[in-house]
Amino acid sequence: MRQVLTGNEVAALGAKLARVNVIAAYPITPQTAVVEKLAEFVADGELDAEFMKVESEHSALSACIGASAVGARAFTATSSQGLMLMSEMLFIAAGLRLPIVVANANRALSAPLNIWCDQQDSLAVRDSGCVQIYCEDNQEVLDSIIQAYRVAEELLLPVMVCYDGFILSHTAEPVEVPEQAEVDKFLPPYKHPHPLDPDKPVTMGPMGVPEYYEEFRCMLQQAMCAAEEKLVGVDREFGKRFGRRYGLLERYRSDDADVLLLTAGSLSSSAKELIDRYRKRGERVGLVKIRAYRPFPAEELVEALGHAKAVAVLEKDISLGWAGALFTDVSAAFVNVKKAPLIMDFICGLGGRDVSQLQIREALRAAARAAETGEVRRPVHWLGLREKIVGLGV
Amino acid sequence: MTAALPGIPEEEFVAPGHRACAGCGCILAMRYVLKALGKNIIVSMATGCMEVVTTPYPETSWRVPWIHSAFENAAATASGVSAGLKAMGKKGVKSVAIAGDGGTADIGLQALSGMVERGDNVLFICYDNEAYQNTGIQRSGATPFGAWTTTTPIGKVKRGEDRPKKDIPAIIAAHGAPYVATASVAYPLDFIKKLQKAAAIEGPTYIHVHAPCTPGWRIENNKTIEVSRLAVLTGAWVLYEIEDGKFKLTFKPPKRRPVAEYLKLQGRFRHLTDEEIAEIQRMVDEQCRRFGIE
Amino acid sequence: MNKCTGCGMCWLFCPDTAISKDKPAVVDYRYCKGCGICANECPFKAITMVTEEGR
Repeated sequence: MRQVLTGNEVAALGAKLARVNVIAAYPITPQTAVVEKLAEFVADGELDAEFMKVESEHSALSACIGASAVGARAFTATSSQGLMLMSEMLFIAAGLRLPIVVANANRALSAPLNIWCDQQDSLAVRDSGCVQIYCEDNQEVLDSIIQAYRVAEELLLPVMVCYDGFILSHTAEPVEVPEQAEVDKFLPPYKHPHPLDPDKPVTMGPMGVPEYYEEFRCMLQQAMCAAEEKLVGVDREFGKRFGRRYGLLERYRSDDADVLLLTAGSLSSSAKELIDRYRKRGERVGLVKIRAYRPFPAEELVEALGHAKAVAVLEKDISLGWAGALFTDVSAAFVNVKKAPLIMDFICGLGGRDVSQLQIREALRAAARAAETGEVRRPVHWLGLREKIVGLGV
Repeated sequence: MTAALPGIPEEEFVAPGHRACAGCGCILAMRYVLKALGKNIIVSMATGCMEVVTTPYPETSWRVPWIHSAFENAAATASGVSAGLKAMGKKGVKSVAIAGDGGTADIGLQALSGMVERGDNVLFICYDNEAYQNTGIQRSGATPFGAWTTTTPIGKVKRGEDRPKKDIPAIIAAHGAPYVATASVAYPLDFIKKLQKAAAIEGPTYIHVHAPCTPGWRIENNKTIEVSRLAVLTGAWVLYEIEDGKFKLTFKPPKRRPVAEYLKLQGRFRHLTDEEIAEIQRMVDEQCRRFGIE
Repeated sequence: MNKCTGCGMCWLFCPDTAISKDKPAVVDYRYCKGCGICANECPFKAITMVTEEGR
């Protein structure tokens, strides 16, 4: 059934269709409507779940951990400062191998305080061991939450579904809402292999002494790497049943491009428009969108980007003191590859700053210049700064 | 086995071989907790002495399902366990949270407050050894006035803990929890009865058990029970219940002994002058007055 | 152990579950850490602590 829904509404709807039975989430702008909507579903008896009125994000994910460990399907949602407060437990949820789904409305990080969109929050926790998916539009958010439980429960890993704060969370778009019966066929009930159960006692979360800790982390890494194949398989099955597929990456008019943009999230849509305009003029430009960021699809990216002369990474984050996360990871993917494009980093859209077509054009032009000259003098650029900061040469 | 001590269940759910110090009062508390509650529980434990000494991978002491996630969230994890059990329609299993004084009174207080405010069906047990013992005897909000710890050392300018003990049972009672109680490892039958009473209540219940730490309190290994007993007999530690807001003293020491008898067995109080002991006696007297102990 | 009445106090107060509730009580030396609580609490002074030597 077709409905017009915001990103927050579809996040809640996705959890409802996935038949989550424990929800523990703390409100934070711009995610609040997710929590409110789920409270309404439960209050009306539309969703048979325990709605926990947790007192912080740290407790929210802690409660999800407890619930998931006994075999309940748990869900939480957060953003920005809430994600930071929750972050201790993200690493722990991954280490405990619990299949919790976390919806994250991407928002900038303090200080200074900022409630608007960028991707700093989720990228700051990329090391956690949670699978990370970045969505371009609300349809993708809805579908990804449903897919996320399959991936999470089959691998025993937490999965984070990210969508841009305000840009997606508060924007209503037409979405195709799958029927509950169809979702039920796609997503069977959750069965933890050894839940907390007095009939079969287990100890979860022991002290991992030096003689064993490294092996545990290696096993977690193996599970994360296996997530790549799992994501592809689940997505393929989803596509067969619901007619929509996403993959790990999307290649948009990229196969014969000399210059490529690399994006994640809703910015991909805006950037695609510019690509179309340039293509009309006969310019060989294209775009690659990253959907699965963790596990990092290094091989696929090298394949998708390798033939280009230059790649302009557009990203809404910065690892202060160096460069953006996406740029860093993509560069590492090419480090030992003989035929590699020049790669440039464009930091943009921080704290909800609008990323205009003019800014994207600036990035494309700079990459085209690099492609021509074969040289990148400065790898990291900032787009759309209000004024030049004297002396810093940013 | 003899038929002695009929009120104490015989089955052991905490296996020996754990790495607790010789004479540890806290692991004794754990033994009593599990005897009282039996096998149909799920334990959520905070980081701390008990968590660390009982689960060095690949070994575990726990003969019941047990989860450790972090330090400050035993209550939140246990709330989630309770919600999960409810969501799955699983009856007859009790969610139990266990934390030390650090994981209860300080870093754990927010999660505990949330659990009680929500009315979650969890029995929360605080084993109070009056400092962050597992990390090497640093003070906590539960460290008593005058005690030496590594962060309240005895120096030229400052001499030991200068703040009174945070009253957690009162805080939990103020939340309106249906059952709050204090206990001591020297009074195991009393502790076990209180545990069973608390576990039978659907809702948030809280028990605070006084449990010595032999290295942290600087006591001889064999004095654990003697020191705990003296805490009660001197009125330094009071045994009571608060049921639906109604206070009831569960043990009144006959002829309350001077607190110096309790203090002098412990190296952490060795530095106290007669004046300082008198000050502590005044504080204990005031506490006893409040609780109705002469 | 000839003073032991099987009262169970040692069993009750052992942090390591290393002494049985029998008459006489039996120590499991795999787990006994030698803390001495049992000896201190025994109402009949039926337990003597002996220092381990030469190991």
